[in-house]
Amino acid sequence: MHTSVGDFPGARCNFGVRRPRAPALRRRYGAGVSDDAIQQLQGIDAELAARLDEAVDPEKLYALQVEFLGKKGKLTAKRALMGSLEPAGKKAFGQAFNAIKAAMEGRVAGRKETLEAQARLAELSRIQDLTMLPQRGHVGSVHPITSTRRALETVFRSMGFDVLDGPHVEAEQYNFDDLNIASDHPARDMQDTFFVAPLSGGQAAADLVLRTHTSPVQVRAMLTRKPPIRIIAPGTVFRRDDDATHSPTFHQIEGLCIDEGVSMADLKATMERFVRAFFGADLAIRLRPSYFPFVEPGAEFDVVCPFCERTPGETCSVCRGSHWIELGGSGMVHPNVLRAGGIDPERYTGWAFGFGIDRMAMLLHGVSHLRLMFEGDVRFLEQFPC
Amino acid sequence: MPGRTPLPDDDGLSAAITGLGLEVEGMTRYGDGLEAIIVGEVVGRRPHPKSDKLGLVEIHDGKRNVEVVCGASNVPDAGGRIAFAPEGTVLPGGMTIGARTIRGVESRGMICSEVELEIGSDGDGIMVLPRTWAAGDRLIDRVPGIVDTVFEVSVTPNRPDALGHVGVARDLAVRLRCSLAVAPLTAPTADPDPTLVTLEAPERCGRYFGFAFSGAKIGPSPLWMRVRLHRVGLRPINNVVDITNFISMEWGQPLHAFDRARLAEGRVVVRQASNGETLTVLDGTELTLTEDDLVIADAQRPQALAGVMGGNDAGVQDTTTNLLLETAWFSPAPVRRSARRHHMTSDSAYRFERGVDYGLGLSRAVARATQLIGEITGARLVAGHHARGQTPATPTITLRPARTQRILGMPIPDDEAQRILAGLEIEVDTADPAAWVCRPPTHRPDLSIEEDLIEELMRVHGLDDLPSRGSMPTAYGTDAPTALLDPAGEFSREETDALVDALVATGCNELVGFAFADPEALAAVDPRSTTTAIHVKNPMRSQHGVLRTHLLPGMLDAVALNIARHGRPLRLFEVGRTYGWGEAPSGDGPTAAIDRRLPREHMMAGVVLCGGLVTAGTRSMYDARSVGGVLLDVLSRLGIEADLRPATAEPAEPHLHPGVQAEIWIDDRRVGSFGTVHPDLVRRWDLPDGVAVFYGELNVAVLPKPAPAQVRRLPRFPATSRDLSLDTAATVPAWTVVAALRTAADSLTESAAPSASAGDGPAKALTEDPPRLSPGDRAGTDVEVLEDYRGQGVPDGRRALLLRLHYRAAARSVADNEVQALHDEIVTRALTALAGSDPEIRRR
Repeated sequence: MHTSVGDFPGARCNFGVRRPRAPALRRRYGAGVSDDAIQQLQGIDAELAARLDEAVDPEKLYALQVEFLGKKGKLTAKRALMGSLEPAGKKAFGQAFNAIKAAMEGRVAGRKETLEAQARLAELSRIQDLTMLPQRGHVGSVHPITSTRRALETVFRSMGFDVLDGPHVEAEQYNFDDLNIASDHPARDMQDTFFVAPLSGGQAAADLVLRTHTSPVQVRAMLTRKPPIRIIAPGTVFRRDDDATHSPTFHQIEGLCIDEGVSMADLKATMERFVRAFFGADLAIRLRPSYFPFVEPGAEFDVVCPFCERTPGETCSVCRGSHWIELGGSGMVHPNVLRAGGIDPERYTGWAFGFGIDRMAMLLHGVSHLRLMFEGDVRFLEQFPC
Repeated sequence: MPGRTPLPDDDGLSAAITGLGLEVEGMTRYGDGLEAIIVGEVVGRRPHPKSDKLGLVEIHDGKRNVEVVCGASNVPDAGGRIAFAPEGTVLPGGMTIGARTIRGVESRGMICSEVELEIGSDGDGIMVLPRTWAAGDRLIDRVPGIVDTVFEVSVTPNRPDALGHVGVARDLAVRLRCSLAVAPLTAPTADPDPTLVTLEAPERCGRYFGFAFSGAKIGPSPLWMRVRLHRVGLRPINNVVDITNFISMEWGQPLHAFDRARLAEGRVVVRQASNGETLTVLDGTELTLTEDDLVIADAQRPQALAGVMGGNDAGVQDTTTNLLLETAWFSPAPVRRSARRHHMTSDSAYRFERGVDYGLGLSRAVARATQLIGEITGARLVAGHHARGQTPATPTITLRPARTQRILGMPIPDDEAQRILAGLEIEVDTADPAAWVCRPPTHRPDLSIEEDLIEELMRVHGLDDLPSRGSMPTAYGTDAPTALLDPAGEFSREETDALVDALVATGCNELVGFAFADPEALAAVDPRSTTTAIHVKNPMRSQHGVLRTHLLPGMLDAVALNIARHGRPLRLFEVGRTYGWGEAPSGDGPTAAIDRRLPREHMMAGVVLCGGLVTAGTRSMYDARSVGGVLLDVLSRLGIEADLRPATAEPAEPHLHPGVQAEIWIDDRRVGSFGTVHPDLVRRWDLPDGVAVFYGELNVAVLPKPAPAQVRRLPRFPATSRDLSLDTAATVPAWTVVAALRTAADSLTESAAPSASAGDGPAKALTEDPPRLSPGDRAGTDVEVLEDYRGQGVPDGRRALLLRLHYRAAARSVADNEVQALHDEIVTRALTALAGSDPEIRRR
């Protein structure tokens, strides 16, 4: 589209401002030789006026403008008539020429306005159905286990816990012995263990296991840090279990706090703060005596079910109507474990807790089957955009 | 305590038991509806007029006679007693007994079997009751415990005492502040006969009571016992076996009864087996024993694997009359070893390996057992012997009330603490009020240190009034980013999370796969895994036989699953560890001794793009370069600039198509690779024709640490560009051409520098600020690859590579002619350098 008419510098500012009319000119300048010439000019103006409707688009209007008002246009050509006139007639003709030129420019400008108004109306009358599903880009997703782990890390970091990592293939000493789980004790049956086969001729793996819990990180933390110790250790763990609610690989988070004067009451307070920060609600927690070899006393910790309200009036499918959810195990670090970590149990006491990240993720997102977590069906994965 | 304290209801009991650390996992109410069942006396029987199988039985129900139709074959003769459900009874299963007409005869009630009453598993015939019971008596008055609630308790491995009802009741009694009622027991009196038991392994058998009975009459147990065994899930066998099982459940003490007539010389020897000795146990398995197995032998050969399972030969049978009853304490660890070695589990081994009572509880079990055998089988105790070996020493534990407060964070009053300890049968000497001297009972082998006793106080006292103390300091964190474990890469845990976010931002879906892999599939992806992979000694299935050395096998599993289920295009990634034997890390931290023996664990990031199922006329939306683009984008998001290079690995990455792979480099380190997944793998994973899979990976451990972005000054003067079309061999990678151009440009800029001193004015400006190869204003790179044309006019094996080179000077606009001269010189030099790999390379 032509944006301006370079041949007519005045055109831009005159558009639509004034439109002098030819009949007035005749009265003002009287008859004479110049009348003839002026009539010719008026004839050209009349022709333009008659043909303006041809200009149905800006291109045709431009062509018309060039035809009449261009350097070699019909009106411009009549300027030569000036030479044949007397001086008095020249003046009248000159004034008439300018007036008629301005009038014709006005016609073009008016037509241009009309065309623009039509075009605008046409554009505005266009309808596009935007409710049809657009072509969508790929939205990535974070695995619920990852997002849950991170949310847990954020909460505990805010409470002053460091996040520690540990090897997945671990020595029995750190996975069992130093955690007060003697080799001949039935407590080892609580965690059915994957053992690492010895490498023929190479590295000995006589006592290596796939860690059955994140608790060996407790031992490592105690060996490499001095109290006060405040750490969490999230990560992958392995047990020989495979059914609807168990997977041979799953994820746990471990917490450990050791200092002078730390008690079960501190554990309870920490769990309450965690629950409030994580679930965003002041939910009661409950400690229930239980047994884990690496703590004494030991307790399971339960939280009031935050999911009952999802299904008002029905039996909650998460807690099965008990209004409590078992979260995990906890307790005061066993003196044998403290000693194995080089910490004097008379001076320091500590608590530890552990629970499943996968289970937490399942609770949060209402995932019914653990299998879904690990099989990698993208229709499942994409339901967790971040 | 005088009188009986009313017990809470079932829910209350359940809560109390769970509160004691003995989690109630299930609760079943039995016997509702059995109030209506009465003892009926058979008056007479006659055949059903219209059926061979059915009979008509006339029954006296205590008041009158009724006739019922019955199909059972064991209806007793007149005078026999049966369980009768009169009209209107609602049976435990919910069935209502009405008057029914069966084949033309009206039946007014039903004769019941054990199954219908939910008191046994014998549904073959009706229940026949003792003739001494009077017709019209209610069954629930005749059979104690027939109406009952069964609590299913999950017992943690530290509480062998709770593997018997008495143990749970003891805890409950203390909790509910009532006393434990134990049936009166009298110690058995028998003629001592030391020849009955020879104890040759006193270190492994602390106690062995052997009692000889004669005149036992083997038969079914009384109904009350059968009901109780049935309710706890045991199948009644015969009265002697049932008694041993009953005591095991009641006292947590496993017993074993031998048919004494089948024991050579009628005696037992407790000894270690000799290597290679064999024993066929009750379930028919023949065991080959080792020296580490403890056996109960007769004078000749093993007759039981001690504490685990009895032998087949000397088991009690219907014809048995002489018994030898074993009540013993075996050392826990060896029982566990034997059971594991022979892959056997039994209620007996379960209890012995956790530690049964070797003191009072054992004596009580002995008394109960001998008493029941006498009462029920009519046997006479003829001789007995009690052999003693080594039993664990009872520990003496100091309990400081102040320590209790320190550990629990709440006080437990001294009198409450003492009441609890006494109720748990722990002896307490409080002579020193700050340090009580305690001796735990023999049924609590788990109590050995002060904290154990504190837990006992906590268990019984309960945690309901545990305060929540939020006074702990909260700022222990070191604020240091957490290093990734191994190897000591520069990426922290937080940065690895950022890598995950960057992958998500490129539209990829995160996958969390198993660490396990199928050895064969893994070897197909990573042939080196045959020597480096870590084998699991006891995998759950062979497909989980090794730990992955590579992320791709698991990701291909996911691709195959998705393609099979829906065939959609896929963008998947996983950031996770791979595992392999490798060089041990150096380092001398406190854990180094163990760390040196561990295998290596590498953090890797893998990306799979797959175009999905391709239908006719559509094209895969990805190609091998897409995955390289994803990886470069991801690194860019972390502020890391990387570039692509032709594959240098020798041999090429085996999991990728040998001709369609490249590498990702950051400065001088190779951090990843990508390309088309090898066609052999696509076939191995059974992907349908046309499904193309592209894979790229980053070795997270070698990624450089992301640093805060440093802003480059924006160029003030415009760049200008020159296009270059080259005729090159298709085998010369574009990267090689670009690198040659850059090298040539660098060499020119360097050689220009020394001659800068000559001249003055504009000439000086030219030499001081020469035009350089520089990123274009829109291109973002100095050498753009515009097109790789192979088609008409280009011979096979060659290509037309269209490149665009951007130039600018730092502080001025550059003139056309100076750029042209520079460009020509750069191209000439680059072509000379490239002639080594492609002698025919030329400008087009």
